Amino acid sequence: MSIVTRAVSILLTILTAGLSLRAAEVEGTVIIQRRLTKRKVTSSADLYQRGTAVELGSDGEQDALAFERSHVVVYIEGNLPSEKVTATLNQQDRRFSPDLVVIPAGSSVSFGNLDPIFHNVFSLSKARSFDLGNYPKDQSRIVTFPKAGIVFVDCHLHPNMSAAIVVTPNRWSTKADASGRFVLSGLRPGTYTIVAWHRAAGFFRKTVRVTERGVENVEFIIPLDTDRVVEQAMQ
Amino acid sequence: MRMRFATRAFLWSFIPFAVLLASSFWFIQQRVQHTVRGGLRLSLREAHMSMARLRRESELQNSRFLRIVAENPPLKAGLQLLLVHPQSAPARLTLEDQLREIAETLRFDFLVVSNSDGVPLAGIVRIDDQLVGMDISRLKPPQQGFFTMGTNTYQLNSFPIDSNQENIGILSIGERFDLSEFSTPTILAQNGKVLRNSVPNASPSEVESAIAKCETQAECETQIAGETYVTLASDTVNFGDGYTLRSLQSVDSISRPVQSVVREVFLIATLGALAAAAALSVFSSRSIVRPIATVVASLRQSEATGSLPSFQSTPATIHEIRELIESFSRAASALRESRENLQQAYIEFIGSLAGALDARDDYTAGHSRRVSEYSCAIAAALNISGNELEVIRIGALLHDIGKIGVTDSVLRKPSRLTSEEMAQVQQHPTIGRRILEGVRGFQQYLPIVELHHENWDGTGYPLHLADVRVPLCARITHVADAYDAMTSARSYRSALSHEAAVGELKRCAGTQFDPEVVEALLHADANGKFARNTGSTASVRHLLALPRATSEVVL
Repeated sequence: MSIVTRAVSILLTILTAGLSLRAAEVEGTVIIQRRLTKRKVTSSADLYQRGTAVELGSDGEQDALAFERSHVVVYIEGNLPSEKVTATLNQQDRRFSPDLVVIPAGSSVSFGNLDPIFHNVFSLSKARSFDLGNYPKDQSRIVTFPKAGIVFVDCHLHPNMSAAIVVTPNRWSTKADASGRFVLSGLRPGTYTIVAWHRAAGFFRKTVRVTERGVENVEFIIPLDTDRVVEQAMQ
Repeated sequence: MRMRFATRAFLWSFIPFAVLLASSFWFIQQRVQHTVRGGLRLSLREAHMSMARLRRESELQNSRFLRIVAENPPLKAGLQLLLVHPQSAPARLTLEDQLREIAETLRFDFLVVSNSDGVPLAGIVRIDDQLVGMDISRLKPPQQGFFTMGTNTYQLNSFPIDSNQENIGILSIGERFDLSEFSTPTILAQNGKVLRNSVPNASPSEVESAIAKCETQAECETQIAGETYVTLASDTVNFGDGYTLRSLQSVDSISRPVQSVVREVFLIATLGALAAAAALSVFSSRSIVRPIATVVASLRQSEATGSLPSFQSTPATIHEIRELIESFSRAASALRESRENLQQAYIEFIGSLAGALDARDDYTAGHSRRVSEYSCAIAAALNISGNELEVIRIGALLHDIGKIGVTDSVLRKPSRLTSEEMAQVQQHPTIGRRILEGVRGFQQYLPIVELHHENWDGTGYPLHLADVRVPLCARITHVADAYDAMTSARSYRSALSHEAAVGELKRCAGTQFDPEVVEALLHADANGKFARNTGSTASVRHLLALPRATSEVVL
């Protein structure tokens, strides 16, 4: 029943959007309450000397929160038009670079090795599991991600290397910037479920109504702070 | 060798002490060394045992922990990668990189991965706190024990790397071997070559040559840089490939404080013994030396005076010394007695000689005896006593001894003497002197014999000496002789009376006689101490014919 109504409503939305031919924007802010990731970075001064892995962010709280904000993926749920792209995820200085990639479903990612040593890329995630084996410098392997979902990528040889690929159901997806701002534009008016995802904090969903006129403002507070939620409810 | 009794006593009492002290010092030092050595050996052995136990425990713990390191999946993945691409430099770099990470996090100094046959594939080593890859092709590190590379020695342990129940390789983990963890000096050697040592103030070559002597023995004693060490090779842990680990303990540094205490004690004991021996020898010798010194002093005195001393009371309390002094006294008194006897015999001889002389002539019979008596009386009046009086007594007895050399014809001539005869008679003092000169002990009588005819005014004979140049004894005898001559009868005259003789003496006092002596005679006579000549039988017929009494008195 609900599926039917939902399908109808989506159809209606698409229709109305198509009818109006006017696109709207969803703007928003991600507010990160506290540090969520314990980042460990191995410095790579040179090839023969690798420093001890150090924890980052213990000195500059602001910096750490900016890192967290820029690692939040925001996307719209729903079967909307998609767009295949080919992204690149390199391995450089014993790190995945970038360590977070957002692609619509059906896109491919090229995994390149820029280090003088062997690397391996594998994933055990439900959305797409693969093992590209070990390959040396200047080689790359391409993997296609047909299904939406979160895919974690690791290296057998270097367990502290890790990256996440967020395969979104459609092309409306983005990463928040360092200040937490994000914009999803070109949406037709309608009601959407907007999702924010952070590797450590998980999924945050909100429903937005997009009208022709305006810009919808969404605020994600990550992680959910009970005090703050209660405060908001009282207001 | 001449030495004082105190010195001898000191030497005899101190030398045994010194010998005893020296030998016990030597003995105690030997014991100290021996005990220290024994203790050190024991402590070394205990240290080795506890070290071995600790090592076993830590190795067990280490092996558990290192086994987990060998179970590291990325390492396995890396090794498998290298096994698939054995010639690939990036694959080796990948493995080295993984080893570097392990070494970085776990602070290892040396890591090598070998394949299941033990052929090294990749390795890293810490040099100047940098972990660098090694050219593994030329290395042959053992699986267990020591491994020397360059100037460093590493202690290795190896663990299998298994994957799916299959051994795919070996991980060798090494830590730099550091002697600073040992509390005692330690030497690490490989086939006699010293690799590392923590012996203070010793060059490696010195250590090496010292250790060479111990090569076959586990426990031995050796000298390094002037110090004596007891060393013990560790046999509880196998270090492999000719490596030996020796720990050392300095005998000297342990025994030095003990020995310095012993030396101090013995120094004090020696000084004490020295002082005690000196004090004792002085004290004990004093009780012997003091009485002897007294005896010696009185003997010296007697040497000077010629009289033998007698010791009525002896200062010595020591039996032997008392005995010595007493027997000396006895000997001295015996000697004295015999000397007195001898003297007595002399005197008797002289008396009889004088008597014989006097007996040559009836008129002079008893003359010498009487002159001696008168002389003694006068001398007594002049307060002469003792030895001097004795000299006068005997000298007077002998005063006419020279008349032996005067012929009887002259001597007994009843008539007047010619000048020639007179000269002969006047020779008798000189003859008497010559006779007695040769007799020992008669020198003291010579003045009386020779000079009893010298006159106060120098008109006498034989030397014509005047006044006090003639000794008193001779002057006394002169007066006594004159008195007796006058009071005795002669063939040519009768005897004068005492008063007449005294008057004559008085008259001639100051010319012929010493007035003092004449005065003394008068004084003695007045006191009744002068025995007058009364026994004279001779006539006085010639008396008046004589121009001068004195000329007759000469006879």
